[in-house]
Formats: sequence, structure tokens, C-alpha cells
Amino acid sequence: MSSREILPMEEKYQEYLIDESKYSGYADSISFPKSEEDMIDIVMQMNQKNTGITIQGGKTGIVGGAVPKGGHIMNLSRMNACKDTRILEDGTALMTVEAGISLMDLNKEIIRIFKNNPMLWPPQPTEESATVGGIASTCARGINVFLYGDSRQYFDSVRLVLSDGTVRVIRRTDERALLDRVLGAEGIVGAFSELTLRLLPKPESIWGISFFFESKEDVGIFIEIINKKKVRAEDADIAAMEYLDKETIKLIESRKSVMTKIKEIPDVEPQFVCMIYFELQGREEGIESIAEQLMEIAMDCNCDPDKAWALSGEAEIEKMKAFRHAAAESVNLFIEEVRHNDKRITKLGTDMAISESDFKTLLAGYEDDLKTAALNSCVFGHIGENHLHVNILPKDFVQYQKGMELIKAWGKSVKEKGGKVVCEHGIGKLKKEIQADILSDEEISDLSEIKTELDAKKMWNRGNVL
Amino acid sequence: MKIAVCMKQVPAYSDGNMDEKTGLIIRAGLQSVVNVYDLSALETALQIKEKIGALVAVFTMGPMNAGQVILEAYACGADEGFLINDKAFGGADVLSTSYTLMQAINSTGTYDLILCGKQTTDGDTAQVSGALAKWMDIPHITGVAELLDIDNTKITIKSISEEKAIIEVIELPCLLAVERTIFTPRMPSLKLKMAGKKKTLSIISLAHLQDKGACHYGLSGSATRVKKIFPPVRTKMQPVVSMEGKEAAKYLKQILEQLDCTQKQEV
Repeated sequence: MSSREILPMEEKYQEYLIDESKYSGYADSISFPKSEEDMIDIVMQMNQKNTGITIQGGKTGIVGGAVPKGGHIMNLSRMNACKDTRILEDGTALMTVEAGISLMDLNKEIIRIFKNNPMLWPPQPTEESATVGGIASTCARGINVFLYGDSRQYFDSVRLVLSDGTVRVIRRTDERALLDRVLGAEGIVGAFSELTLRLLPKPESIWGISFFFESKEDVGIFIEIINKKKVRAEDADIAAMEYLDKETIKLIESRKSVMTKIKEIPDVEPQFVCMIYFELQGREEGIESIAEQLMEIAMDCNCDPDKAWALSGEAEIEKMKAFRHAAAESVNLFIEEVRHNDKRITKLGTDMAISESDFKTLLAGYEDDLKTAALNSCVFGHIGENHLHVNILPKDFVQYQKGMELIKAWGKSVKEKGGKVVCEHGIGKLKKEIQADILSDEEISDLSEIKTELDAKKMWNRGNVL
Repeated sequence: MKIAVCMKQVPAYSDGNMDEKTGLIIRAGLQSVVNVYDLSALETALQIKEKIGALVAVFTMGPMNAGQVILEAYACGADEGFLINDKAFGGADVLSTSYTLMQAINSTGTYDLILCGKQTTDGDTAQVSGALAKWMDIPHITGVAELLDIDNTKITIKSISEEKAIIEVIELPCLLAVERTIFTPRMPSLKLKMAGKKKTLSIISLAHLQDKGACHYGLSGSATRVKKIFPPVRTKMQPVVSMEGKEAAKYLKQILEQLDCTQKQEV
């Protein structure tokens, strides 16, 4: 098979018609380019026929952004080379990679190349099979968003293949605003062929601490104090602050036996209503100072520090990261099972954030609505900006529809309060179907403008976002 | 009751290289973790401590950063920690390691029970516990899968051999090498981890041992040399298909035809 070959869709390519959202589609053909030249050649062929192209990476998205609705699929998973690296004077480094490299392979390459000056790329979504191109398309951030912020700043430049077959190089130094608009545009303006990533020096030490609470009241107070106090040390910071509710923990534990990485984590004691996970990064002394501060606050909030888990070192922390990732994975597995009975059901989760709101009130609001609607759910996510992923677990299509209505209502309310309806998952096709008015008129106009400028023929990722 | 637990720091992943001259794993730059089997041994000790009361002492042999093992054991509830560290101990094989462990453990007192993990994930020999018991001249049971009962004079366990599960009552002192599955190791506690930072970590060097002859330890005291270290070849995941009767036969025939192994085989 040539890497420029346009392959007709056959049974063996069925897996390319669905992503982790379980939203599914259809296509006429598929290709697996291995280089930018291959991509250009394929784009030119499609351009002549005015065939729309859906770009695919690791298919780990949860809004159907990489799911085709007809036309051609250009799967970039074979474009996974690391092309260039250099260390800069300020101690950071640049690394140029092809768009299809997975986060797992990227991290391995970073460890291998920067053995003597350990580095990290801050955007670390928990799903390691996500590709760098996919992360750029949605600006996915991962749990360390609390410390590292928006992932856009960790892209230094991109090579964007446009629908006319030309390549536009966009550098942060020259066209910062354009680069920031292209990143997170969910592939509607072109396909990334190469991306230059900014790496930061790896912190000397890393700790993961999980606190468990018996009452939601105490959790609320704990989070309120943490947010107010801005707990930190001179040479260390809180990188991640995550919430997992009891239902999430139960769901993970029900699937633990088939998840190798978390099999040997002991069960969470049944009296606990939630887990709050912190990741601390920096120098060991600073981390210890933060850990002590957290421990004191937790004790004031009736949390037993003897029962709090504390791991240190990258390899040990993997256990906790795997546990956190198992939250999303367990939801995906649940949806997969429900779909055996009804294929119309897809993932039904929120990606909304309201920084201004109070965590306790926000959570209570979600829980009340779910109770009223008699829907099962699990809630986990980033505490820092009240960015919770409320996942509805429908038993059937009737409950699925009820869940959709709930998400629509929450989206409307978040929008009215000035929050973000979509933070890092993207809108794709699924979120657009659930809630047509996610974006403001201004955002739509901005995206339409850049779409017209870079993809006048509207060939890329038809059906996404707009 | 006094329990000694032997624990080892091992590479987190199997991508290390070997020093061609010495046959030893080059550990520099590799991320390290506690050998998972040893975590189960520690958990067994802690369960006994919680049940009948005991002092749990942890012994680990390795470079200075292997002291992390002791800190982790403290964070789980161990009472004492000993890092067996001396240039003379480097490059030890089973014989030499077990001899060093015996000397080190004996240098700190006597123990009613010695617990080891069944094997380590780097050396994978599963021989050290047996050799240590032999040096100490105490009974040794490996493959211990269940702790059924214990008092201050005897322990009842269930061990798994290749074909049989055996229930045994053993008088103390004895040495048990446990399976990973005996207990799910607890997670280190934040409170104990913070407290552990302030606890003493005792270092045992050659000077502390009764036998001070350097030639009995490390590479010089080893009877074997490693020729090659390599990670096992990973097997590929194969699809699992469930079918019955004729349908299964037809499917198998198709597969065999694709393999081209049914041809020219007819008698």
C-alpha cells in the first residue's frame, strides 16, 4: 500500500468511523500519509474532486471531531517522527514532531533525547494515545492545567497543510494571534503536518497526594480554603488539583480487575464520598512544605492524613495518574456496554468551567439536577477553575435524551454566568448536535472568518464546530 | 515479635542496558521503584503487626538512593529501616547477596520472622530467599499465598507449589517468601511519609558485619557471572474469536488455508 494511496472504505477500516465518544459516521475513502508530501498529494487529489477531508490522529477525542460524515479520512497516525530538537538559552527546549506522534511516544522521545537535561511538555491529557496534532486541535491540557495553564503557549510554530495543497508556516514569534486561533480550531482550517513544541525543564521532584473525605460539606470547605490561601512554596507548586466523586471511584473499582495499571491499588474505604488528588512539582523541600500545609488544612476539614495516599517519584506517580485516567476510561467502557443495546447512545459528558462560581454550590447544583432527573452519573475534573466533567451514565435511550436536555440547560446557564461551555474536549460534531448554541456570535464570526481565509472551499473537517 | 522484611529497589521499566564487562544492569538514569513482590512482603508484616503487634524492620541493599525504599516502607508503617551499603557489596549474585543479607540482619539482632518477596522483577531468580534461609539455618517456605494464622510461636500459611496448595504450620523463627497476591499492598500514608522524613535511616556497611572479609561480598564473593541481560520478547495480542460447531470449523479451515499449512500434508 502506497502512503499516498486513496483506499476505498472496506470492512477492515470500520474502526476509523468512530472515536472515543462512540459517535459514529461514514466515509468513502481513507489514506495513511507518511509525510507532508504525501499529505499534499492526497489533498490535491481531494481538492480536484471537491471531496471533504476529515483529519484523524489517535481517535481519542470525545466529541466526534475525528469522525467523518462522508468524504475522505486522512489518518495521520503514521506520521509520528521526531524531527528536530534544540535547547535554548533560557533553559527551555524546542522539539519539532510530526502531527501523528502519540503523547506516549513523545514522552519516550523526550526522555531519550534529553537524558542529561530532563524536560517535559506540559500539556499532558491523561489519554496517552492522543496525538500531538489532536492535542493542538482541541488545546487539550490534562490535569496539570492548574500550574501550566493554556496549552497554546507550548506550541512554538506549526506547519499547516491547506486545502489548495500549500503549506502555511505559522510561528509564535511572527503571527502569535493567528497561531492561537488555529490551535483549538478543531482542524477546520487545515491539517497540521509538523508542530514545534516548547518544552520546560522537568521539575526535580514530583509527589501525588490523595485526600479522602467523609462529608461533602468538609470537601467544600477544604476546596474553599485551598483556593483562598493560594498554597505554594518558593520552589514548588501545586500542578494538579483533581476531584473524583464516589460514583467515579465506584465505577473505576468495578473495572479495576481488567485495568492492569491500577489493579494493585487498594480499594478506597466505603465511608469516603470523594477523593481530592494533588500533584506537587518542584524541589523536594518546597514540596514537603506544600504537603505539610495541605495536611494541616485537610485535618482542619476533618480529613484523616493517615488515610491520605502520598506517592513520590515519576514511576510511582504513574499509579495515581492511571487511577485518574481510569475515570474517563471507565465511563467510555460503560457507554460502550450500553451501546450493545442501543447504538444511538454516545458519551454524554460536560467540559464546562465557571471560575467565578463556588465549587460546593456548583457541585450541589449538578447533583440536584441529576437527582431530579433520576439519572446516574459520575463527576470528576479539575478543581482550579471549577472545570468538572459531569458524565451522565444512561441506561437506555430515554435516559440519554433526558441527559442531553440536562447538558443543554447547564450549558445555557454556564454561558449566562460568563463561564466556558467547552474547555478542552472541543465541540466536534457531537457537542454541536447536543447544543447548537455553544459558541457566542463573536466566536462564530471569528471562526468563520479564519475558515474563509484559510479554507475557502470548506474542505476540512466538515461538520465540526461550525 | 520482631519481623525483618527484605526489600529491593528495581528499575521501573525493563529498558535498561547491561555493562558488557561486569554483566550488571546499568541503573544510572533509570527510574526506580520498589520491587512489587517486596511490597506484598511488607504488607504481610504490617498485617501481622496490626493483628498481634510486632516491630517491623526493613532491610534493603543497594546504592545510597536505595534509601528511598526505606522511606516508602516508613510511609507504609515500618518501624526501622537499614540500608546495606558499601562499595564491597556491589555486583553481588544470589550467593553473595544472601550472605550479605544474613550478615546484615544478624548485625541488628534476632528476628522471629523474615519475609521476602518471592522474586524481584530485575534479577527474577527467586533464589535469594531460599539461600538466605539456608545461611540463617531456619525453615524456608516459598510461594506463600495466604496467611491463615499467627501467634508468637508459630505461623500457619498456605503456599502454592506447581501442582498443589499446601497448608503448613511452621514454628518461628522461619523465613517466608510471599506471592504478590498474598495481600494488596497499602498506599503510603501522607502522615507517615512526612514523619518518615524525620526518622533515622541506619546504614550497614562492611565495618558493621561480623565477617569483614571483603572477598566474601559483592562481585568477589559471587559464584556466578551474568552473560547477558535482555528484556523478554513481547508477545503480540491475538484476537479471540468465539464460535461453535460447523461455523468454528469453517473459520479454522479458512485460517489454516491462509497459513498454507494444510497443503501437501495429506497422508
